[in-house]
Formats: sequence, C-alpha cells, structure tokens
Amino acid sequence: MAEIKCKDLSKIYRQGESEVRALDHLSLEIEPGSFLCLSGPSGSGKTTLLNVIGGLDTPDSGEIWIDGLRVDQMNKGDLADLRLRHIGFVFQAYNLIPVLSARENVEFVMQVQGVPARERRRKAMDILHEVDLDGMENRRPAELSGGQQQRVAVARAIVSRPKLVLADEPTANLDSVSARQLMELFRELNTHHGVTFLISTHDERVMRYARRLIRMQDGRIIGDEPQAGAGG
Amino acid sequence: MSGSLPVAALSRLAWRNLWRNYRRTLIMLLAIALGAWAMIFMTALMRGMVDQMVEDGIRALPGHVQVHHPLYRDDPSIENSMSEPGAAFAAAMNSPAVTGWTARLRVPAMISSERENRGLMLLGVDPDGEVAVGFEKDSIVEGRWLERIDDSGIVVGKKMLERLETRLGKRVVLMSQDPDNEIADRGFRIVGVFEGTLAAQEEAHVYAGRTTVQRMLNADGEVSEIAVAGRDYRDVGELEALVIEATAGKDVTVRTWKQLDSYLDAMLGVMDGFVLVWMVVIFLALSFGLVNTLMMAVFERIREIGLMQALGMKPSAILYQILLESLFLLALGLLLGNVLAVASVYPIRGGVDLSVVAEGMEMFGASAMLYPALKTDDMILANAVVIVLGILTSLIPAWRASRYRPVEAIAKT
Amino acid sequence: MSEGLQIHGPLFSLLSLRLAWRNLWRHSRRTWLTAGAMIFSNVLLIFMISLQLGSYDMMINNTLRAFSGHIQVQAEGYKENQRMRRSIASILPLTERVRAALPGAAVSARAAAFALVSSEERSFGAQLIGVQPAREPGVSTLPGLISTGRYLEDPGAAEIVIGSVMARNLKVGLGDEITLLGSGRDGSFAAGVVTVVGIYRSGMADMDRSLAQLPFGYFQETFFMQGHGHAIVVALDGLEQVAPAMSTLRPLLRDGLVLLDWDALNPGLKQAIQADMSSAWLMYGVLILLVAFSVLNTQLMSVMERTREFGVVSALGVRPSRLAMLVLLETALMALIGLAIGLFLGWLVALYFNTAGLSYPGMEEAAARFNLPDRIYPSVSPLSMLLGPVVVFGFCLLAAIYPAARLLRLRPVEAMRAA
Repeated sequence: MAEIKCKDLSKIYRQGESEVRALDHLSLEIEPGSFLCLSGPSGSGKTTLLNVIGGLDTPDSGEIWIDGLRVDQMNKGDLADLRLRHIGFVFQAYNLIPVLSARENVEFVMQVQGVPARERRRKAMDILHEVDLDGMENRRPAELSGGQQQRVAVARAIVSRPKLVLADEPTANLDSVSARQLMELFRELNTHHGVTFLISTHDERVMRYARRLIRMQDGRIIGDEPQAGAGG
Repeated sequence: MSGSLPVAALSRLAWRNLWRNYRRTLIMLLAIALGAWAMIFMTALMRGMVDQMVEDGIRALPGHVQVHHPLYRDDPSIENSMSEPGAAFAAAMNSPAVTGWTARLRVPAMISSERENRGLMLLGVDPDGEVAVGFEKDSIVEGRWLERIDDSGIVVGKKMLERLETRLGKRVVLMSQDPDNEIADRGFRIVGVFEGTLAAQEEAHVYAGRTTVQRMLNADGEVSEIAVAGRDYRDVGELEALVIEATAGKDVTVRTWKQLDSYLDAMLGVMDGFVLVWMVVIFLALSFGLVNTLMMAVFERIREIGLMQALGMKPSAILYQILLESLFLLALGLLLGNVLAVASVYPIRGGVDLSVVAEGMEMFGASAMLYPALKTDDMILANAVVIVLGILTSLIPAWRASRYRPVEAIAKT
Repeated sequence: MSEGLQIHGPLFSLLSLRLAWRNLWRHSRRTWLTAGAMIFSNVLLIFMISLQLGSYDMMINNTLRAFSGHIQVQAEGYKENQRMRRSIASILPLTERVRAALPGAAVSARAAAFALVSSEERSFGAQLIGVQPAREPGVSTLPGLISTGRYLEDPGAAEIVIGSVMARNLKVGLGDEITLLGSGRDGSFAAGVVTVVGIYRSGMADMDRSLAQLPFGYFQETFFMQGHGHAIVVALDGLEQVAPAMSTLRPLLRDGLVLLDWDALNPGLKQAIQADMSSAWLMYGVLILLVAFSVLNTQLMSVMERTREFGVVSALGVRPSRLAMLVLLETALMALIGLAIGLFLGWLVALYFNTAGLSYPGMEEAAARFNLPDRIYPSVSPLSMLLGPVVVFGFCLLAAIYPAARLLRLRPVEAMRAA
C-alpha cells in the first residue's frame, strides 16, 4: 500500500525562448490502494507528474512523499532502489529490452533485485500466465504484437509486487480489445493485490476504469472527482 | 547486489547487444584481429632479426664473457697477453652455469698468398675448446677443422680464400709481431675453409693451433683472451660473477659480450622499446574505431538504457554492461588475431630468405635468413596492451552511457 | 550514365557538396573520431617517412662523400677482387679528360695497395691509398677530418696520413716514421719509409683503423705503378646528377674499363635502405588498413541509419548512383579534413625535429654503424610530407566503396519501411 503526497510541485521546461510550465504549484494526495487516472491534453503535465513521482525526474520546487519518504531529495542510487523495490513502470511503447525474450524481460527486474534463479523463473512463468502469455515466453519483443508487448511490460512492472504502478499512456498503441484486456488486468491487480495505480491517459476507455479521475491543464489540476470505476 | 545484475546476466545482455549490428561488430573484430596480428607477427619478425644479429655477432667470436689483459682492447698486440689459465681457473669453470670455455691467442697479422696480401686477426686456438664455446664445425665447407692444439694447418674463411686467389691445400705465409716487436712469420698449409653467416667474418679471422702460434710468436704459455660460454646469452650476470671470482687477484679485465659489442646490446634495448611503441601505436590507431563503435552502440540504445535505469538498474551496472561488451569485442578480436599470428608464423618458422637484400641486411649486422621469434612474453604484452588500454578507452563511451538521465533517455525516439 | 548526368545534373554539384558537408556533421563526434584516426596516422606517417628519408639522405651522402664518391672508373673486375694488376693505364690523362667532360664535378685519381705498415713497436696490415693531394678534398670528406697535423700537400713527398685508431695501434704520432712493406704492381717487393704528417678521425672504426693515404706520385714510385692507377673518383652535387654524368662519361672509356655508380660501389647501402623501407611499409600498411576499417565502419553505419531517408529521396526520383556518389563525397570530405589537419600537424612536428634533430637511446651505436651523426634530422620535402597522407586518403576512399555500393541496390519501398 502506498500513500503519495505531493506539495506545491513546480517544474518549468525551457524550449528555446519559450517556457513550458509542466507543473505549476501542484498539490495532490493519493490514498493507498487508489486506482487513479490523470487526463488532459498533451503538454498538460501528466507525464512530468508521473516522472517526478517515480523519481525519474526532479521538480524545481515542492515536496514528494511516498509512504513517508521524501522522494525529491533522494540520491540517484536510492531512487534506483525505490523504483526497483516499490514502483513498477509501464510506458507507452518500445519499453522492452529488445535483446531479451519475454521471460527474460520479466526476470530482468528480479535479476537486478538479486532474486535466485529458480524463484525468478517460477514467478516469471506465473505472471506471464496471469497476463495470458503462455507459450510466448521465449519470443523476443520484435516477435510479439503491440498488445502482447504491453502485457509483457505490465508483467515486468508487477512481478515483484510493487506497491505502486505508474503507467504513462499504456494503451496509446493498442487496439481496443488489447486495451480492454490491459485495463481488466490492472483492475484485478488493484482489487486483489491492493496495488496503487496511477495512469496517465487521454483514452476515454481507460478513464472509465478509474475510481478517481484527475484532469490537468498547464501543469495544474482543474478537476478531481471520484468515479464508479465500472470500466467496460 | 541491489541495483546491479549478476555478471552472468550482464554478460548475456552485453553479448546479445554485441551482435545486434553484426556488420559493425564484424568490421571492428577484423580491425582488432588485424591489429593484434600486426603486433605479434611484426614483433616476432623484429625479434627474430635482432636475436639473429646478436647470435651471429656472438658466434663470430664465441664467448659470452671474455677475459683480457687490461690494455688488450686498445692495443691488441701479443705484448698485452696473459698466461694460460691454470688448474684453479679450470676448476672454477666446472660449474653448471658454464657450457664451455677456452683460451686463445688473438693477434693482428698479415696473410700472404703467392699473389695477394691481406690483414686479419690470427687466432691461435684449442680446437676442442673452440667448439665447446660455440664454433660450429658445420661451418667448415671444405677440408677439415683443426685437429690438435699444435695443428700445423690453418682454417681460413671462404671470402678470404677468394681474395688471396688461393685454394685448399696451398701454403700461405702469416706475418705478425713477437713480444720483442720483431716480425715473426711462418708458412701454413690451408687445411680447411669456413663460411660465416656474415661475409665480414670470413675475412676477419684465420684459425691455427694455439701452441703452433705461440711457438711462431715466441710466446709460449701466453694467451690473449679467455672465452667462457653460458647457456643463455641474454642472462650473463651469473657467468660474469663466476669469471670475475675465478680471475680475482689477476691483472685482467672481464667483459661480457654486451660490453664488447655495444651495438648489439644497444639494438636489444632499442628493440624492447620499439616493440612497446609499435604495440601502443597500433592500439591508438585501433582506439578511434573502438570508441566510435561503442559510441554508436550507446547512441542507438539511449532509450533502452533509460528504460533499464527507470526499472531500477544503477548507472554503474550500465557502465559495466558497456565495458563487458567492449571486453567481449576485444577478447574475440584478440583470439582471432593471436590465431592468425601463430598461423602466419608457422609456415615461415624455417626462416624467410632475404638474400635479395643480403648486403643491406649485413649493414644492419643481420644475416640473409630471417627466423621469426614468436615469444610468449611478446604475445602476453600485445594482449595486455589491447585489453588494458582497450578497457580504459571504453570507459569514455561507457561513462557517458551511464550518465544519461532516464527521463531524457526515454524521451528520445 | 552520361544521359543520366544530363538529365539530373552533374554528380558533383555544389548542392551535393553542401549536402555531403551537412551530413558529415549530423554525427559530429563520429566524424571527428574517424577523422582523428586519419590525423593520427597521417602525423605518424609524415614523421616516420620524413625521418626515414632524412636518414637515408644522410646515410648515402655520408657514405659517398666520405670516400667512394658518386661514380668511379675502374678496371673491369677490380671491384670484385682488388688486385694490384687490375689497373687503369695512364690514369692521370684519363682523369683530366673526365674532369673536362664534367665541369661541375670533383674528380680525382687514386691507386690502392695492401701493405704491412710498421712503426718501431708495432706492425699491422693496412689499405694504402695514393691520392692527388690537391684533388682529393673535392671527392672525400676524409681530408677535412684531420684532427692533428695537416693533410698531404706535395704530390711526390714521402708522407702519410693515417687514421686515429691506426695511430694508437702503431703507437705513432706526428713526425714519426712508418715503414711500408708490400708488393708492387709487377709483383716485386715494394718498400718505403714515410713520415706521418696528419691523423684523421672519421668516427668509422674500420676506416680509422685500416686506411692510410699517401701522395699519388710517391705511391707511383714505391709500388712501381708506371702511370697506372685503380680508380677515378667522381663526386657530384646530388644523386640526381648520377645518371646524366654516367652517360657523359661512357664514351670516354677504353675497353677493359667500367663505370660504377654509387649503388654498385656500396652494394649494401641501397639494399639496407630497401630492406628498411619495405619493412617500414609493411608496418605503415597495417596502420593505413586500420584507418580504412574505421572509415568503412563509420560510413556503413551512416548509410544504414539513413536507409529510410535514402528510400524517401530515391522515391522522389534521385538515382541510386547519385546517392552512392554522395556517400563517396562525404568520405572524401572527411578524408580531406584528416589530410589537411594531419598534414599541418605532421609538418609542424617534422619541422620541429628538422631543426632540433632527433635522438633516442641506443641511437649512437646504430648511427656509428650507418655513417650517421648521432642526431637525425628529418627531411621536410613535398615527398616526405605528402606520401603517407595521400596513401591514407586513397585507402579511405576505397573503404567507402562498399557502403556506397550498397546504395546501388536500394529498393525505395523497403527502405522507407525500415525502422
């Protein structure tokens, strides 16, 4: 279970002459076990918010707390550790390591964690079964469809049972069937394993699954409402 | 181990990445192999040439350590001679470090046939002792080697025979000085003709029995030079110490061949330096391609590297991964290069005939046959230079790869 | 091909030149690394080649000027076996004719004999040369190397100039008398007594030990030469004058006489240079191949990563041959950068050592053996500067042929689909 607190976050990117306010004095609290969607047009700051929460990027000012830890002040090594043990990432696309097979991609994080080979293998096979990829274990990413690749990425993100999964436009490159399967999978993980999900998207199909929907624009929150999260 | 990967897993990643762009990897492998081949093969040829030079030089007047009257080197006359070494010296030479020793009379002389005169060094030798320190009986191409220490015949060089317009069996007259500065001469029959690896040797020396020469010069019991041979000419320290001890208290000078022929010694030293310079130069020529290849490999994979970091891999593990990739590349290239070098030395192990430039080679003091000398030390040095400098060079792209910030790396498409 | 040229304009247009130049800097680091390999080997090659050519020049000049001259006239067979009787009759008139035929050259007659030279204490065999005291300094540096006393002056005097080692061995000094014992041209016993008037020090151990010079006239009397001599020595200003001088002299020769050029006179010299040159080129070859591999790799990568782009342009109607030419042009530009910078740096390095000279440990011993001073001065000439870089340039272009040729097989649709 992860409790996330963001206080007064600001982040400004400079592109040539112009400034882009990716985060503008943004504050947000997320309960443990949430299933939360961030929506908004491109450039509204969704990805930046995910990145600073996951420690991939640092805010210019403000504080980020995850389970009482100050994320924005950690050093590189501790951040790597945090991502390794507590956070799972799912990106838009191209987020598998091309030279590793599906199973090896899933095992990668456990390998980095130092999980023994036998256990690693068992967990990887279990999770691949869970995301419905039986028989695809030894294929390389190039031999998998977009939906299959994304499911491998999810398998990798959740295999070590993180408390928090950050997903940046996970369905952007998927057809609607694959997209629905992926969201079902997320919801099941959320309800049965208590994993907190933070998903950025501008895909209506995805938003329907969220139990809390946050709308962003110009680095600010312009809407925050609970939802049924019925999906479908 | 957190944030890192076990070496086996890192190796697997590195190995697979290596073959993603197999054309590039193959070209680089060929370049490394060519470089390693050049380092080892050329070094073998150069070493072979210098070894041969030194060995020929030593063979021209055998004895790795020599003892002379202190003034002999400046004034090699009979006046500056010593008495024949006694039983005590002989006993001291009875050591495993000594493979042979002999004492000779060595004075400048003029040799005259019916038609021509030439100047050379007359060597009064003990035939068996001379063979023991390294005179090769095989070099006698006509007639025979001296048989006794009081042999009345002489053995001359083939070239000298031509110069004197004489032949085997003919008589020649040798003139030199006795200790009273009187001209002493004696007729000798030519009983043997020798061939030297360097033409100059054939004109420089003539061999006769020691006691015969002593009698001719009124110098009974006198010698100019004691020559001691050991097992390995490169390592003469022990031999030198032994001879110094055996001649202690006598008014003589002990010198090793390195002091006697500073050109050869200098060449050995120059060669050591040159081998290292050559290897480093070849490596430098390689290093541009190596850095380039790794840079390209890193550049193409920026996204992946960012992904791995996003997944919790530490920068150091990224660094190791790139270094491992470089190590595999270097090791494979070296393997190929070593095999090529050995394979190309093998067919010419019997020597390369350079007789088209024989006289030129003789100017360097080298003979017309070049025997490659493939030495383990040189092979190790070549491989070490490539691996050590190669890894050091790879640190640049590897370090750069590890410095990418994940979010920037992922943002790149 | 030529039709294509007319329709699509010249392969080398200003546009493609600009395009090639911009393409080069899309990966500036890669371009600099590849050009760096060229610069490195160009500087090295310039340094090494100018060093080699410089030392060859010195080797040849020192050897030729020391004694042998550039050309000699000898009796047939004398060089192979220096017998007294293989001589040139009436040598002085012939020498005058040679001198008249070659106005700019130094010409001198010599006679040679082997004899036993004895002082009061010592006797050694020595090579005695009868020389024309007034002429010899023009063909040999030896007269200028007198360290004590003076050189010969009177053509008929009973005087001798000997080497420093011989003087030490004979234990003689200036003004001491030396006895000569040998045989004359007719085989009879020849003897003389001469006074040491000068001692030279050439630094070449062999010469200093065994060579002595007497006036030509005195030599004639002592060795019963009857107007004969053994060699007419011609010294020229440079090697390039040897061939014309040889053809000028050929008609002057009587039967039984031969003309020998410097190579024939010093057979080891040219071969030593050849052996050194060829072993050096074996090494340079490896260096150049490594640079070529570097270029091959870079250009292959640059072609492969632009597959899509090339697909698009070729779909727009640009001929594959033009694309291939573009890649060659890029390579040529890169190689030109390597050439220009390499040449400049190499020239600086060579220039520096050309004035400061170069020495390394062990060189003194080697130098003494090859008639060299103990510092080498690299030669800075167009040849020594350009030879290496031009070969590197050529091989770089050769290396780009494969990547360029791949473009000839380009299929636009497939290429555009490439990742």
